[in-house]
Amino acid sequence: MRKSSRFSNRIIYTSESRIRHPLQLFQEMGRDLLASRQLAWRLLMRDIRAQYRQSMFGVLWAFLPPIITAMGLLVAKNAGAVNIGNTDIPYPAYVMFSMALWQTFVESLSGPIAAVNAAKPMLAKINFPREAIILAKVGEVFFNFGIKLILILGLFIWFQIPVTWSVFLAPVALIHLVILGTSIGLLLAPIGALYGDVAKAIPLIVSPWLLLTPVIYPVPKEGLFATIVNLNPVTPLLVTTRDLATQGLVSDPIGFWVVSATACGLLVIAWILYRLAIPFIVERMSA
Amino acid sequence: MTLLKSHQDTFEQPQDDEVILSVKNVSKRFCRDLKKSLFYGIQDIAGEVLGLSKSSDVLRKSEFWALKDVSLELRRGEALGLVGANGAGKTTLLRIISGLIKPDAGTVEVKGRVAPLIALGAGFNPVLTGRENVYVNMSILGLSNEEIDECFDQVVEFAEIGEAIDAPVQSYSSGMAARLGFACAIHTEPDILLIDEVLAVGDAKFRSKCTRKLSELRRQGTAFIFVSHNSMAIMAVATSAVYLRRGKLLLSGNTETIISKYEEDLFLDGVEVAQGAMYLKEKTADQSSGIDITSLALKDAQGKILDFLTSGEPASFCAELKVHRYIEDVSLRIEVREVGGENDTVLFLSGLMDDRVFNAHPGKCEIVIDMQYVGFKPGIYTANINVRQGKHFIFDTIESYRFVVKGDASMSKCKFYQPRTWHFNYCS
Repeated sequence: MRKSSRFSNRIIYTSESRIRHPLQLFQEMGRDLLASRQLAWRLLMRDIRAQYRQSMFGVLWAFLPPIITAMGLLVAKNAGAVNIGNTDIPYPAYVMFSMALWQTFVESLSGPIAAVNAAKPMLAKINFPREAIILAKVGEVFFNFGIKLILILGLFIWFQIPVTWSVFLAPVALIHLVILGTSIGLLLAPIGALYGDVAKAIPLIVSPWLLLTPVIYPVPKEGLFATIVNLNPVTPLLVTTRDLATQGLVSDPIGFWVVSATACGLLVIAWILYRLAIPFIVERMSA
Repeated sequence: MTLLKSHQDTFEQPQDDEVILSVKNVSKRFCRDLKKSLFYGIQDIAGEVLGLSKSSDVLRKSEFWALKDVSLELRRGEALGLVGANGAGKTTLLRIISGLIKPDAGTVEVKGRVAPLIALGAGFNPVLTGRENVYVNMSILGLSNEEIDECFDQVVEFAEIGEAIDAPVQSYSSGMAARLGFACAIHTEPDILLIDEVLAVGDAKFRSKCTRKLSELRRQGTAFIFVSHNSMAIMAVATSAVYLRRGKLLLSGNTETIISKYEEDLFLDGVEVAQGAMYLKEKTADQSSGIDITSLALKDAQGKILDFLTSGEPASFCAELKVHRYIEDVSLRIEVREVGGENDTVLFLSGLMDDRVFNAHPGKCEIVIDMQYVGFKPGIYTANINVRQGKHFIFDTIESYRFVVKGDASMSKCKFYQPRTWHFNYCS
């Protein structure tokens, strides 16, 4: 006997722009987001398993980059080759923690484009909730951070860095950081799916951006450079996460809330754009 | 020999006449130039975001209509065959119906869940095992975890890949991967199933299993839209058909009529068929080998030249010859093949084998083969005709004389015409 009658769902496809019916659009978006939970989980499991099944060293690859970068910088700093000020917590811990946060941001930035490109065969042939692939990528970003967290915990214990209760608020700030990255990535995803330039441009933009964020150096206090660094939207989010995890005192709460609110707003806009753009991408890309 | 179950099932009419799919005046443009296409994509996205209305009757540069003004309706339990040459717009129509792309004009109204069988094994990751991939694939096709758990065993059993289910998919042969994909897709129990040329996977046993399962789904009320180039498959399953040509819907209705029109167009397009008689240039005495074929014609019972033959009707084949000297033991040989068929010889007639050899005097003469009934089924044929002496010496050959045979609906399922009379007797 036929299961629950699905004949009651009526869907109409027209050539009209869907933004003319905003209420309906939001309803559909909410419905698809809920419907994509299980699928996003499956895709996440699939990607993580496939990645590690093919690898001999597995999770080690998540640890190595921050350790190697930090060691390189430590050597350079001690030799006087780079002029970095003093940080609140021991430099190796500072650098590795900050790098982990920065890499999480970069992964969430490049995530949506990578997700759309990887899912092209599926997107072109099956109508599944499109949010699922983005959610799966975000899940992967948090999973990768989770692995780095082990390294960070190890560092904190090794250098005997004191933590206060505010460390439990640090994940909140981290989530905002990921939201910023994802919203920018999602904004770029439709164009990135059509033109390969976007995927090539991202590394070009990310490298100098790293240098404008207080990752390998402490937050500058004065001068033109300090102004630029403070205008960088990633700065308050990254610094707040770090602060909450170490000192307990947030150094720039206003900046944090402004950027967070902007990021959340940007995410909603990017989501709407993504949703509206997907059928056109599917049409133009090779199946 | 195994007797396969007949594909022709007797179906009860669908329970209610509810229209579950309605396509109205749908049009779609595509662009041939890649760079322009990508740019138009950006343009379209901008138009959508800004809420602009489309000027949908205009073709931008390098664009063409992939679909123009296509309308159709589908009711519960119906199976619609979609036929057309490659590039006619069938897959585009299916993609619009499943909501993958937006139409440039017109509307599509769908009631219920649509499962497109446009590609099998979507979402398969080659490193994971078949078992894990079944979960991924069915999840993408829209089933919840509980629903997948329920039918998982059935899917694995249907796919018939044995122990390989626990091996990574990258070790599968393409047939195995396709079977697994098909097994997943067919168990999603959708309300409307769109099948795009995927019925050719697997060996004959698997194919007949798929057809049986599809029939079962139809009985349960699933409606189908079916794209296939295999006319036999469509005729066996479809309740009605639609013929698309270069984006336009030419015909819709009875499956047999549409399939024959499709096949006619497929082979006739751009191909010259000998209309009526074929006249050949006369050769001079030194060019000739002794006998030349000067004309070939098909005539009816009254001697009038025909443009085409009709199955079941009397006809005669006439070959006019010019003979240059006295020759004995002259016979005609005809070998007929079907155009677009498997290139097997359909008919082989030889005057020598029928004991009909002639002695020819110089001058013009003709050899006529009278056929009481044309036994060919409707189609397009090509004949190789030669005139010879004895078994081996060939005077002249016509490599290809094409002719068309037409017939009515009673011939649509026949491979040849069977002359017959019917009788009704009482048995006492």
